[in-house]
Amino acid sequence: MVAVDAAVPTGRVPAQEAGRLTPGRVLAWACLVVIVLITLFPFYWMLRTALSNGTTLATAGSSWLPVDFTWGAFRRVLGLATLEEAQAEGGTGSAVDFWVYLRNSVLVAALITAGQVFFGALAAYAFARMRWPGRDAVFFVVLTALMVPPIFTQLPNFLLMRDLGLVNTYAALVLPFFFMTPFAVFFLRQFLLGIPREIEEAARLDGAGHVRTFFRVIVPMSWGPITTLALLQYVQAWNEYFWPLLVGSERSVRTLTVALGVFRAQTPQGNPDWPGLMAATLIAALPVLLLFIAFGRRIVDSIGFSGIK
Amino acid sequence: MKRRLTVAATALLLALAPGCAAERPPADSGGWDETGEVTYWMWDANQLPAYQRCADDFEARNPDVDIAIEQVGWDYYWGRLLTAFVANSAPDVFVDHTSKYGDYTTRGLIEPLDDLIARDGPDLAQYVEGTGDLWVGDDGRRYGLPKDFDAVGLFYNAAMAREAGITPEQMQDLTWNPQDGGTYGDVLARLTVDRNGVRGDEPGFDPRNVETYGLGIDYPPGGGSGQTQWSFLTATLGWSHTDKPLWGTRFNYDDPRFQETVAWWRSLIDKGYMPPVEQSVGTELSQLMQAGRVALVSEGSWNISTFAKLGGIELATAPTPIGPQGHRAAMTNSLADSIAAGSPNKGAAWKWVRYLASPECQEMVARGGVVVPAIASVVPTAEATIGAHGLDITPFTRQLHEGTAFPFPAAHHAADVDSIMESAMERVMAGSADPSSLTAANEQVNALFTQG
Amino acid sequence: MTSAVAAPVAEAPAAATRTRRSRRDTWVALGFVAPTIFGFVVFYLWPSLRGLGLSLTDYTFFSETSFVGLANYQRLLADETFWNAMAVTVWYVVLNIGFQTVLAVLLAVLLHRLTRSVVIRGLVLMPYLVANVVVALLWFWMLDAQIGIVNQVLSWVGLGPISFFGSEAWAIPTIAFVNTWRHLGYTALLIFAGLVMIPRMLYEAGRVDGASEWQMFWRITLPLLRPVLALVLVITVVGSFQVFDTVAVTTMGGPADASRVIQYYIFDLAFERLDYGYASAVSVVLLVILSVIAFVQLRLMRANESDLS
Repeated sequence: MVAVDAAVPTGRVPAQEAGRLTPGRVLAWACLVVIVLITLFPFYWMLRTALSNGTTLATAGSSWLPVDFTWGAFRRVLGLATLEEAQAEGGTGSAVDFWVYLRNSVLVAALITAGQVFFGALAAYAFARMRWPGRDAVFFVVLTALMVPPIFTQLPNFLLMRDLGLVNTYAALVLPFFFMTPFAVFFLRQFLLGIPREIEEAARLDGAGHVRTFFRVIVPMSWGPITTLALLQYVQAWNEYFWPLLVGSERSVRTLTVALGVFRAQTPQGNPDWPGLMAATLIAALPVLLLFIAFGRRIVDSIGFSGIK
Repeated sequence: MKRRLTVAATALLLALAPGCAAERPPADSGGWDETGEVTYWMWDANQLPAYQRCADDFEARNPDVDIAIEQVGWDYYWGRLLTAFVANSAPDVFVDHTSKYGDYTTRGLIEPLDDLIARDGPDLAQYVEGTGDLWVGDDGRRYGLPKDFDAVGLFYNAAMAREAGITPEQMQDLTWNPQDGGTYGDVLARLTVDRNGVRGDEPGFDPRNVETYGLGIDYPPGGGSGQTQWSFLTATLGWSHTDKPLWGTRFNYDDPRFQETVAWWRSLIDKGYMPPVEQSVGTELSQLMQAGRVALVSEGSWNISTFAKLGGIELATAPTPIGPQGHRAAMTNSLADSIAAGSPNKGAAWKWVRYLASPECQEMVARGGVVVPAIASVVPTAEATIGAHGLDITPFTRQLHEGTAFPFPAAHHAADVDSIMESAMERVMAGSADPSSLTAANEQVNALFTQG
Repeated sequence: MTSAVAAPVAEAPAAATRTRRSRRDTWVALGFVAPTIFGFVVFYLWPSLRGLGLSLTDYTFFSETSFVGLANYQRLLADETFWNAMAVTVWYVVLNIGFQTVLAVLLAVLLHRLTRSVVIRGLVLMPYLVANVVVALLWFWMLDAQIGIVNQVLSWVGLGPISFFGSEAWAIPTIAFVNTWRHLGYTALLIFAGLVMIPRMLYEAGRVDGASEWQMFWRITLPLLRPVLALVLVITVVGSFQVFDTVAVTTMGGPADASRVIQYYIFDLAFERLDYGYASAVSVVLLVILSVIAFVQLRLMRANESDLS
């Protein structure tokens, strides 16, 4: 890859001076508006469906407003509806322990993110800033993990978890992702390559070892990319589906993505609970959305450029 | 370089050796404890409340056994069950399906019940005829006590039928044959309406521009059994899936009677009475009925409560049509509770299964108004409760009372048969292959059994 | 890739110190990478080897397993479904990467040249916050041939109905579109990050010379974006070969195998037909193919480095 230019672009440079309305610019704006509309429309449709009544939804498939408006779907998802209420609106008779699933999702995603970012940063530092025999070869080998199809490793990993007796524990949900993800190592290494050597040299001359340099100099300097990486990995872990389904389907450790299955068809050729599913999706996306609003500018501003060039 | 390769290869082999040794089948030696927690899996969320009442009642009678019911939707049920068996965390008792349990018996994963039944009952005569036999495997042993049964029938939009001038009485006595479709075919044509309001049996009907189709079609169209799609037609011709009703080893998809039926069924698409199969990917029939896109569907009785709940639409039920030989036919299937062979407390599990099969518990299930229990004495209760919720289930159950029901063709290699037939039927129904191509599919299917 | 690590060596005062220090550094470095190596070995390497071992057996989870040599690989050569799955997957990758890259470049350029609004950049990232499975279900429903909203809209302008998921011709393009929808904002922001680093002077100079936006895109933006694009491609190509979730919750491989992508085929073999040994053999072949592709791409990228430095 190329060496990284550590100069952090501000992202605040004003774009081309606005005001001149040429046909080209009108067309460009039109493109942008269309893309944004296509991006947002499904979210509106989710909301509209989530506020509809499941038993009459299909009678007005093309209605732009909620069909037979009700908060029932949100009440079902949050476990506030009684069984009778839920079934009367096309929901299931199954209890939804929303807060348990939420706790599990937060816990699992947070643990995975913490492990990946911390260990990823350590490894990235060793790969980018230290010289040791076999470094490049090891880095290449770690990168090959990117090519391994998840389905290939998931079943043996599942057997491993079984043999360790960890199925249906948090450990099983977290461990395979906890120690490394090639993307994190790669992402941070590319950033660290760009930090001017002198800064580190100064620290070393003051007598700091690598460990101290790492924690006192490198980590504070890399806070931007680290946050970005953490948010990206958090989103990824939050949305992980197949692995939690395999090893964490039991109620006590079930995550939100797996729990969404409650709203899918419960009998052969049965109807999914569309409003419930959409309400649950919106609610499940909410915590991530909140994180995103809190750190949004940082992600949006720094996504990627630290990782590439 | 060469030496390095050798070293690498040796290292690899050393690494693989324990890997291979580790893939042994999971431990299958369960225990016969009479106490402890019994986990119970079921898929139908609608029935959960009734079964929870059974569990509460059971726990009151057996204080040293706890029942933990877990409901897993059908879409995930079999996948999760499989991984649970691999992980040695299978439920002690689970609701089993006739199309699946063959896979579990051949692998020794579920417990035969013959000795237990001989010791503790129940008397198998208490069941609706035919439901119990489905649970005798090809090894002659019984793997489940039937809990309920289902049958195939017709759901139709009553308001649309009235508008088309079709009376409920007519609907109860439809006829069918593979040449002109009989009165069943007439009704489907009559119920079809194009965008200009012209009916399917009127001049000027535009089959490319249909507002409401007479008949709905499932995707995929039928698989190996055609349970709700075509089996109720083929069976009126005297055709059967296999050489013997259960655990057959030769399939009959090459029979002209079967292929004629499929040809008639497919002709509905060309005539515009049924949606093209490619448009049927995704939506469930009940939603299409609700949206007014189809007027009639053939469906299983297990979905009657789903249909009854549909708002903004007036529905009615009817039995399947009478065929050329003068009788109706409907495939019937029954679900049962099976005990995992690896369960540590099979004694307690058996107590629970035994209770589930008792009239006390099935009475509660009958009052749940979702399914019809297999115990004959509570069938009237279930028929009344379901009827009170809006839809009459007797057009379905009469097939069992009148002896026109036939069992689901349980067979080995069910997943492979389904997968072969699903794609073969799909090609035929999509118009890219002729019904005669099903002969080749039949050879593929039968080869599964000769290869052993 | 490896040659890119241009690490100037710190000039140490004396050779002896240097040796001692570098030996100590090696230990520190190994400590830093240890968790990553551990994760790699336990959760990538070991399961891969186990999968490789299983591909030489007739493992089916429950019955006794025996060694069958290369029989699974022989079977694979004659397996039409496998070759069809490969072809389908490649078609998907071509479409998905095509849509995604072209649209993402367009979107990134629009964001770069038209507006610096963080809100808009945030909005386009929103689909990424929703789990893959849910995105697939949502579009499955919106694109339904008979009651989906998209076909309703099409019918108002006299088009359709189009069986987006049901027809053999549309299934793969539709799945490619759905995944593009989810990843577009993310990819666009990666590219955006690359755009931000193109010196503004170049555009100003271009404008002075009277170049149009269109000309500047082809003469300045695209050539300078090549390294970034190359990196984005490595990540997205390998990722799209692993398409699975979307197919699993929508078409399940149909109609008539038209969307039976390789990962879904593997899943079907392993979990529906319990033919795990054979499923492993297919995975091994996929792994080999992905490695070759990644290797070629990395080679091409290295060839690109000269453009920048």
